Amino acid sequence: MTEFKPDILAFCCNWCSYAGADLAGVNRLQMPTNVNVVRVMCSASVKPEYVIKALSQGIDGVLVLGCHIGDCHYMTGNHRTAKRIPLTAKVLEKVGIDSRRVKLDWVSAAEGDKFQQVITEFVEEIKGLGPNPLREVRF
Amino acid sequence: MRIAFEEMKADRLLTARTEHGNVAPVLLARGDEPGELRTDVPYQMANILLRVVPYLGSDKIAVVARRCDEKAIAEMSKRGLLDSGKISLIGLACDAEQVSECRCSDPCPSKVHIGECVKASPTDKVVEDLLAKSISERLEFWTAQFRKCNKCFGCTSNCPVCFCDECLLEEKTFTPEKGIPPGFAFHLIRSIHLADKCVECGECERACPADIPLLALRKMVNRDVKELFGFVSGDGETTSPLLTTLDGDSMEGDNDVC
Repeated sequence: MTEFKPDILAFCCNWCSYAGADLAGVNRLQMPTNVNVVRVMCSASVKPEYVIKALSQGIDGVLVLGCHIGDCHYMTGNHRTAKRIPLTAKVLEKVGIDSRRVKLDWVSAAEGDKFQQVITEFVEEIKGLGPNPLREVRF
Repeated sequence: MRIAFEEMKADRLLTARTEHGNVAPVLLARGDEPGELRTDVPYQMANILLRVVPYLGSDKIAVVARRCDEKAIAEMSKRGLLDSGKISLIGLACDAEQVSECRCSDPCPSKVHIGECVKASPTDKVVEDLLAKSISERLEFWTAQFRKCNKCFGCTSNCPVCFCDECLLEEKTFTPEKGIPPGFAFHLIRSIHLADKCVECGECERACPADIPLLALRKMVNRDVKELFGFVSGDGETTSPLLTTLDGDSMEGDNDVC
């Protein structure tokens, strides 16, 4: 039996987290390779719908990364993200998907090592949770 | 009813009456023959009000409104769809049977003109039962429920707080053009969209031909919103939509109502 390799989707904001991911790459920090990074202009442009759609189609975990509160390139974008993503996780929990599959974190452009740490921890956590039950469910 | 007309100095009255042996909404002007007025309106007056208001001009309108209508009207005025100064509410208290049908926790309008307030239980047994289940049982339950959906959009068109010009659920990104059921995400996306405005009127559940317990889902989400942000939709006090604006911001210049 092969080891479970989770499929993870990471939404990274263009101004902080994506640059942070770049820095992690430039510094050659080692991290799990099963994360697909999607660059978005702001973490607030990650609609809850995208998170729900990804999970309902069998992605094992969704990571939303944005600038620290107060550092948003668009002033208040991440304040909205901070409201939306926890609510999305709660709603998913209500219909039977573990809320730990959705994670919101802040990574700035200078925090390459934090990016590595967040990715590693999240992949480990999802490995513990096992595959997304909706992967088996066909509609 | 007539008294409310004169008392409130309204030019129009939106209510319901018997038409062809059935109950139908009617818009009366001063001096019109009222006919046989009814209070057992089987749908949301707020929904009809929103469709009538653009044709009224500067007329003031009085509406027969339950508590849920009142909350829906508050949510609409928050988003700039109605001018609350032009609308007066005739409070209609639901009877015990109606309250138990909606498992309503807040049936009493702020000012009662018709009927008497009934005491309601704050907890909903259906919701409690669902929350007592384990997470995998819940997934099994909701998967079976969402599979029944035949994408009729009844929940959307009957919802008093579904008023976006362009519905996200009509986009093929989120709802496949062909085939039913529309997928696991459909009702969850609706829940998220209604999270900061659902007034728990139960219209979605009543409209659903597949008997999906949508009201229970809405109540669970509303409870989450209350736990996370201390926000209850439809209270007259908060002036801004919760999820799209920052605290205290108005909707000015923000066209994204959803």
